[in-house]
Amino acid sequence: MHGPVTEALQFIDLNLYSALFLIIVGFIGGLVSGFIGSGGAFVLTPGMMSLGVPGTIAVASNMCHKFPKALVGAIKRYRYGQVDIKLGLIMGVFAEIGVQVGIQVQKVILDKWGQAGSNLYVSFAFVTVLVIVGSFVMRDAVKIRKAGGESTAKPRLAARLQQIELWPMMTFKRANLRISLWFLIPVALATGMLAATIAVGGFIGVPGLMYVIGATSIVASATELVIAFVMGLGGTLIWAFYGMVDIRLTLLILAGSLFGVQLGAIGTTYVKDYMIKLVMATIMLIVAVSRFLAMPKYLNQLSLTAFGEPQVALMSQLSFYIMCFALLTGAVIILVATFKARAQEMALERAQAQSL
Amino acid sequence: MGWQVRDRMVMEAAVRQEKSNIQATMTENGASPPGEEARHGGCILVVTGHDHPSQPVMTHAINVADRLGAKLIMIKITSSALVKERSRSLLTVLPRGGDHKKTDLFRMQAAERGVAFEKIHESGNICKIIKRLCHVVKRVEFAVIDQDLAIEEVAAASPVPVFSVVSSAGETRDSKPGHHPYTPFQGDISMKAATRKTYLAKTLVFGGLTAVLYAAVFAYADEIMHYWTKGGIYCLLPVATVFVFSYAHGSFTGNFWSALGIEGSKASASQKKAETTVSKGDAKRPDTRPRAQVNA
Repeated sequence: MHGPVTEALQFIDLNLYSALFLIIVGFIGGLVSGFIGSGGAFVLTPGMMSLGVPGTIAVASNMCHKFPKALVGAIKRYRYGQVDIKLGLIMGVFAEIGVQVGIQVQKVILDKWGQAGSNLYVSFAFVTVLVIVGSFVMRDAVKIRKAGGESTAKPRLAARLQQIELWPMMTFKRANLRISLWFLIPVALATGMLAATIAVGGFIGVPGLMYVIGATSIVASATELVIAFVMGLGGTLIWAFYGMVDIRLTLLILAGSLFGVQLGAIGTTYVKDYMIKLVMATIMLIVAVSRFLAMPKYLNQLSLTAFGEPQVALMSQLSFYIMCFALLTGAVIILVATFKARAQEMALERAQAQSL
Repeated sequence: MGWQVRDRMVMEAAVRQEKSNIQATMTENGASPPGEEARHGGCILVVTGHDHPSQPVMTHAINVADRLGAKLIMIKITSSALVKERSRSLLTVLPRGGDHKKTDLFRMQAAERGVAFEKIHESGNICKIIKRLCHVVKRVEFAVIDQDLAIEEVAAASPVPVFSVVSSAGETRDSKPGHHPYTPFQGDISMKAATRKTYLAKTLVFGGLTAVLYAAVFAYADEIMHYWTKGGIYCLLPVATVFVFSYAHGSFTGNFWSALGIEGSKASASQKKAETTVSKGDAKRPDTRPRAQVNA
């Protein structure tokens, strides 16, 4: 979401309320990121804009917090043996190319249809990708849960692609897979393009790693943090070059998100594989509803529809609250699942120790 | 050259004699035949200056040996010059033999759990004894010392890890097993408390550093915003800033959760380790045996 650079820069005056708001939203976003590998960013940009921060500064400051958060989360999950650095770095490089492609697509749409057209494109991308991918992931999560919570079978598409010997073949130790680079590239490009469009590349990246490449959901969500780090660093350098980063906002979000990302990473060691899919799919489907409710505003602006002003205002407000609800729901599921599993493990440890 | 070879031969002969002495002692005490170590998960040395170690030490050693499938070798050191305990020299001359019931207490407790057990009498410096025994007895995993021995000096010279057992339940040497049951969990609690204190200390240090950094940024917000939004080469300033904050604040938050006891699951970590061990073990070793090739 790299908007026009010619906007006059306005850096807001911060007060205690806005500082606390950013810290809390940062914590929840970090928690979700640490757990599913992405997410949180899509609520932070509109969240900052609701405080009066201009769009480009919100996007830039958000991105500047994203890559250190991803770094801390990736380090934590690497210590748990979940990150495939080689896979993350290779995909990160191609994802960065995807980001640049996504920016160019946005520029073309902006030039042709203006801001309203660009916003409609973004919302349409949100709804389409989130509904299709989210439904697929949810169906898979429910299927695994019904089957007892364990799934060792590789997805059929991934299994087929891994069998195709197309030079250069790459082996990834931690992810435990061997696949041609030509199948990694489209997933990485799509991740970057989606990041440039809706600010959350992981909604394509993580499912892509799971169902196309064949990584487990634990490895996919952990490795996505490396991709997010690479993309975030590259994007931040570009935004900072134009002086768009409000470091105060970035640091306030970081204050909360570094707490959350570590807790989210810890949570992944307690829950079963399918829980990550469940949380991701839940968030994606709720956010899809949120973005669907934001579309009438842009349709009206393009004179494609004629909704009444009060209805449009109500739907826009509902859209924002539903987006916050999506994040909160994800956070609650993560916290409940984590502490429940942790309590069970501690009870088992105590019982074993006393039986000795 | 000749005298070097002769010295080496003398040394090797001494080691062989030592080995056979130890094995003879072990056999006298009802030990397993030579080579038995291979069937077990190694050996654990239990070092004491008494007829048997204190009850917590015995219980812990037996529990660990049972879990690892290891053999226990109790070393009773009868010496007038044991290692200094803290700041005092301990001059103890212990009679040989002693009460057989007390001596066999450790053996009986080990036998109840099906743990193989041997006893060796040694005299001299404890560090040298452990070093020598590790060389002679194969597959010594680690040593456990009795509660009245100083771990620092023993561990410094030992080729294997040395542990002492902390007991907070007031058990004494003559506590009966089962009366004040010592469980590894109590020892674990002491260790966990020490680890938590370390995390707490780090939390305070990094928390202080983070607070100072945030205070500096917001105290000089105007100047910082002026340079940090200048663009061009100044783009490195925001990037460097978040890296510094990631380190300080990331360390603070990581230690914060650990100090609260909220850490990754141990069950999944040990499962992963087991899977790695299994997969490594599955790797085929190259067959390097000589082979004959026949052309027919």
